[in-house]
Amino acid sequence: MRVAILQIEGTNCEEESYTAFKELGQEVEYLHLNLLKKGKRNLEDYDILFIPGGFSAGDYVRAGAIFAARLKAIAMRALKDFVDEGKIIIGVCNGFQVLIELGLLPAVDGISEKPEAALMTNDSNRFECRWTYLKKENESIFTRDVPNIISLPVAHAEGKFVTEKKTLERVIENKQIAFKYVKPDGSRADYPWNPNGSMEDIAALTNPEGNVLGIMPHPERAFFPYQHPDWNRKERERGDGFWIFKSMISK
Amino acid sequence: MRAKEIAPKVYEIDILNASDEELKEINESMGLALSLEEMKKLQKFFISLGRNPTDIEIHAIAQGWSEHCSYKSSKPVLRKYIFGIPSKHALIVMQDDAGVVEFNDEYAYVFKIESHNHPSAVEPYGGAATGVGGIIRDILNMGAKPIALVDPLFFGPPDYPYENLNPGIKHPLYLMQGVIAGIRDYGNRVGIPTIAGITYFHEDFVNNILVNAGCLGIVRKDKIVRSVVSKAGLKFVLMGGRTGRDGIHGVNFASKILTEKSEEERQAVQLGNPIIKEPLIHAILEANDAGIIKGMKDLGGGGLGSVIGEMCHAGGVGAEVHLDKVLLKERNMAPWEIWVSESQERMLLAIEEKDIEKIREICEKWDIEMSVIGQSVEGSYLDIYWYGEHIVHLPLEFVTAGVEYERPYKIKKIEKMQEIPKEPNYRNVLLSLLSSYNIGSKEWIIRQYDHEVQGRTVLKPLQGIINYETHGDAAIIKPLKDSWKGLAITTAANPQIGKIDAYKGALYTVDEAIRNLVAVGARPHSFSDGLNFGNPEREEIMGEFHESCRGLGDAARFLGIPYVSGNVSFYNEAFGRNIPPTPVLMAVGIIDDIRKAVSADFKKDGNSIYIVGETREEMGGSEYYKLIGAKSTLAPEVNLEELKGRMEEILKAMNKNLITSCHDISHGGLAVALAEMSIGGNIGVEIDLSSMGFMRADFKLFSESPTRWVCEVKRGKEEEFERIVKARRIGAVEGENLKVRDGNRWLFNIHTNILRGSWRNALRNYLG
Repeated sequence: MRVAILQIEGTNCEEESYTAFKELGQEVEYLHLNLLKKGKRNLEDYDILFIPGGFSAGDYVRAGAIFAARLKAIAMRALKDFVDEGKIIIGVCNGFQVLIELGLLPAVDGISEKPEAALMTNDSNRFECRWTYLKKENESIFTRDVPNIISLPVAHAEGKFVTEKKTLERVIENKQIAFKYVKPDGSRADYPWNPNGSMEDIAALTNPEGNVLGIMPHPERAFFPYQHPDWNRKERERGDGFWIFKSMISK
Repeated sequence: MRAKEIAPKVYEIDILNASDEELKEINESMGLALSLEEMKKLQKFFISLGRNPTDIEIHAIAQGWSEHCSYKSSKPVLRKYIFGIPSKHALIVMQDDAGVVEFNDEYAYVFKIESHNHPSAVEPYGGAATGVGGIIRDILNMGAKPIALVDPLFFGPPDYPYENLNPGIKHPLYLMQGVIAGIRDYGNRVGIPTIAGITYFHEDFVNNILVNAGCLGIVRKDKIVRSVVSKAGLKFVLMGGRTGRDGIHGVNFASKILTEKSEEERQAVQLGNPIIKEPLIHAILEANDAGIIKGMKDLGGGGLGSVIGEMCHAGGVGAEVHLDKVLLKERNMAPWEIWVSESQERMLLAIEEKDIEKIREICEKWDIEMSVIGQSVEGSYLDIYWYGEHIVHLPLEFVTAGVEYERPYKIKKIEKMQEIPKEPNYRNVLLSLLSSYNIGSKEWIIRQYDHEVQGRTVLKPLQGIINYETHGDAAIIKPLKDSWKGLAITTAANPQIGKIDAYKGALYTVDEAIRNLVAVGARPHSFSDGLNFGNPEREEIMGEFHESCRGLGDAARFLGIPYVSGNVSFYNEAFGRNIPPTPVLMAVGIIDDIRKAVSADFKKDGNSIYIVGETREEMGGSEYYKLIGAKSTLAPEVNLEELKGRMEEILKAMNKNLITSCHDISHGGLAVALAEMSIGGNIGVEIDLSSMGFMRADFKLFSESPTRWVCEVKRGKEEEFERIVKARRIGAVEGENLKVRDGNRWLFNIHTNILRGSWRNALRNYLG
């Protein structure tokens, strides 16, 4: 598949993400927003749009807000078409924040004009880099090859998913929760297993159609077994994040 | 000061007829931080030319001559001890902005540590952030991709009483929070993992904190760029941030002692912007891949002045600069301000004229500003123009070569003494040590730094079972996707031993760096030295500097490990108090196969525990003696033969996969090392100290003798291990408690959860 890894100043997980798709034999390229803006590239030429983590435009206001505003101004029409055609969009960390700002998630009634949820400041009130355990909640094209419980790292200051009660109910009803934070044995998480205080321990969400995924933890940082902190305790053939990438490209 | 305007905002300064008093006044009012001797040398030079200088000429010279740029006090000492340790791996040593060392046939790694002390003391957030930004540019300008950051920090105690602070001195807690936030916000935003460091607290650093930052990068050997312009006709391209009034006189500021008026020098602190830096890194690396960069240097201390001067002087060409072409943050800047401004996020590239369009294209893609500000020319003169007016005409040699001093020094005599305390309550001492701020968990700090970004960190700074982790000795980066080879990175310093004896302190620091690298299974490969000292105009401080450098040199030479880069920070004095000699090492080791890396957390029930190395009754500088208030000047003594021997043995045993966990013994001694290993593995251990021979149990447990490690050895592999490593078996992994006896006498029995609780609470009380 043709994969675009979107870049602006301050995105900074693009190399790991690029490597992941490349390892899986995909046609992947970096797509700087300026190239879209100047019409040198078109979104419609890709099958997967990957919005990587980082601190887009510095995130000096609400995380992801500037990136989303610029993306909206340049390519909102194209983005809508992309989603409507059932093509895949995945936003990791800052990318998740961007998808919420764009209204592509949770999108319980389709793409929304205004954000219907937020990724707020962590309960700890600080940036935290730590490993978490995730449990697969619903099957989708992002999770079909993923084992029931996996381990991925988070690294963010704003990752607490919050929304109105009604929207949350719809999210659950629509089976939009892709992954929840859990304890290692799969039981309900408390801090630090839920690292940010996210509602319902939500770590990753899809849209109701299941072709847009936002995920706070970083699958691209756990693509290889030796990126895991416990590689000297547990043998893995692949990193846990591998399976998310694998799922996306499976036919 | 007599001055007359000869061009817009350019003044000619009457120096030819100035008296000594007037020279001092010129120095003071222009903020030059030169001595009277140096002012006279300047005067003599212009008398020989038969003309008065412009203000920008004086500023250019003062900057070149500052301690920070010229290393005038340190160079003779460094040459004697630190430079020139032979190594077949080192490619570029102590020449450009960072050292370059061979990684494998195709790649080299590039690294350096440096200080950002004074700016951080005045403006902790901005000072620390630009410290990180500056060191990243030092790596980038060698053409390397930055892949790791480290940050050794030294503060006053977090509970220091406010009423005891000197005027103008900020509270340690405020400084620490600002510094950590600055490093976090810069490092995280720019996407480089912060993977190692030190946070050390002592009253010696209340008046003068130390903020050191190190960076490591990786580069294909054929893509290494030098900071040299070696032919005429190359265009100077200034790219990245704009030039402003921030950071004027930063280097001069760094070459003075701190006073209560230092606050007024806030404008000497530069302002970093990681969101210019991040695309700047991409743009530079892209231009380097295209092969169009003929020379490059970052604008750090000294700004344009030192960059153009040093690059051209090194390449034997002259420089022609048009300052009106520089893009400015604010209007109305005088040319001298543009010339010395230390505004951040700027790089100067030497580019062939035919490649200017290409670099412009790259800059446009990444939204980076650039301008062509001059070119290299035949000859050896620096000529600066300002809207057509010729305002500087100076020989580069005079501006950049600067001065050198053999400063007088005095080595202090050490009277040996050691108090012998009453035998303590072991349980209380261990728990107090674990909850002390130098030993306790730094998780609050470490987790605020993204240590996973780039996905290369295969041995983390925190090691052990997820959410039970302990401190690791070193982190390991796997720089290349297609090679199992890794780089282990650590930092080391021990100001309290150095305070007793600068020579022994330096040896101990090298020993600790080696211990850390060996503990994770890496072969020590190269060092970068960050030398933090007091006021070099004091003989006893110069004495400390000599002794430290001698120690660093002796140890590294014996081991065959070169210092490939470094930095000297003098004038760490405030209110008459100098910091203790604090050489900080950033050390890099090579591990051929990262799958053989060893972490610090205990792994498995039934495995045997060994202590490697000799424990001695040398308690000077120890955390135990500090805790109980006992005095000692018996500083731990490093035996380099032993260090080399044990290092080789442990590496051999690790290569045979006999060792499942390993931790060096440092602050707090054996007891703390065992506790940390239990905490990370969430598993207990039973220890009998009797095999360590006849010695007080508190010395066995809390001595900080060098060259020691705790090794956990696979069950059934004990004999093979003992054949390779000179070590004593002291127990086995078992249960949930840390149980320690000395022969028949039980000393303590503490549950792992209690150990972890104490250890984690050390900073929590101050930081939440």
